[in-house]
Amino acid sequence: MMDKLIFGRFIPGDSFVHRLDPRAKLIFVFAFIFIVFIANNTATYAALLIFTILIILLSRIKLYFLINGLKPILILMAFTFFLHIFFTKEGDILYHWKFITIYEEGLRQGIFISVRFLVLVFVTTVLTLTTSPISITDGMEVLLNPLKKLKLPIHELALMMSISLRFIPTLMDETDKIMKAQTARGSDLTSGPIKERIKAVVPLLVPLFVSAFKRAEDLATAMEVRGYRGGEGRTRYRQLKWHVRDTIAVLSIVVMGAVLIYLRKYS
Amino acid sequence: MNKKRLLMMIEIAIFAAIGFVLDKLSFSLWPQGGSISLVMVPIVLMAFRWGTMAGLVTGLLIGGLQVLIGGAYVLTPLQGFIDYFFAFTAVGLAGVMRGMMIAANRRGQTGKMIVAITIGTFIGGLLKYAAHTLAGIVFFAEYAGKQNVYWYSIVYNGSYMIPAIILTIIVVALLFKSAPRIANPKN
Repeated sequence: MMDKLIFGRFIPGDSFVHRLDPRAKLIFVFAFIFIVFIANNTATYAALLIFTILIILLSRIKLYFLINGLKPILILMAFTFFLHIFFTKEGDILYHWKFITIYEEGLRQGIFISVRFLVLVFVTTVLTLTTSPISITDGMEVLLNPLKKLKLPIHELALMMSISLRFIPTLMDETDKIMKAQTARGSDLTSGPIKERIKAVVPLLVPLFVSAFKRAEDLATAMEVRGYRGGEGRTRYRQLKWHVRDTIAVLSIVVMGAVLIYLRKYS
Repeated sequence: MNKKRLLMMIEIAIFAAIGFVLDKLSFSLWPQGGSISLVMVPIVLMAFRWGTMAGLVTGLLIGGLQVLIGGAYVLTPLQGFIDYFFAFTAVGLAGVMRGMMIAANRRGQTGKMIVAITIGTFIGGLLKYAAHTLAGIVFFAEYAGKQNVYWYSIVYNGSYMIPAIILTIIVVALLFKSAPRIANPKN
């Protein structure tokens, strides 16, 4: 049952995008999400699409993985596309059949929105496909560092996130084991009346929670005896290094933003 | 660093991971229910065990995990923020009923304890429902223009949130009834 669950989407590799510093990638994606909203005409949306295709090529990710990530939102995409096609009543009539009338403006808006959807999903998927969750967490911690001045516990949050990520595979195994053990005792989670199934959940959760409390206590003791005292002055096992390529990546998004603003005004 | 604070942080982290696992598991548990999941159970548990703040942080972490590795659908910055960070964090507000729950637990009043748990979980669940509904409206406002989608968002999100709230209340109540000690961090 657990084998079917894909944990995370990171695919290790050695492409240009893979080797980028997580901080650079996070800044890039965050900026990208905002510049997408500059686009408002054919030229700007075409530029965005080309830019996204370039990113995908540079990441050397197989198209299959990207399309796979897209599947669940395909319905949503189709829904918004048709909403625009059928409900926008501007421009010339392109097609008319009984009660269905498609206007030029509707088709245009529908295509624009779909492209916006597509580039947003592709670029964020490229980020999660090429960056391990733990480096995203490390990158986030550094980028959010200024917020420490507002007394926000950034270091603690990043530490908790790392611990969560570390324990997810372990807990998946454990949940699987407990489920099998309870099934062997005759508990049935997947069929029977709903009342019985809800009752069967509790004997699954209690052992899971009790062992989690034990694990937490062991880990807290282990950290304490090793002298963990919080964020100040702590050195890192995983060091982040900023290279020239990271500067190039960040500059490329700035240039892209400028190009979009130019195309928006002059085309 | 205070040992108790460190223990709380680690418990929050591990229970956030449990929440994530339970959320992914929901499909095999309730095949006909879509995403009616137990994800709120660990958040509510942390909120009752350590206080509202712990519940909020557990929710925040689960939201973050969804975005990082859970294949979250962030389609606009605002929708992503509301759907993942705000919605999951809000469940932690179940902890506002912690005082009543602890008092009842200490005096052995199981009925009163269950009432406190039910109200707390209901508040947290309702806020999550409201957040997802709002995110739906925000999303369609940005993508679909002027269509009236309030009812659509309320009905769609209610279709899985209302059963999820009921399920969470029952499971948490059964949990605290059969093992009241999990409310107390000292053992």
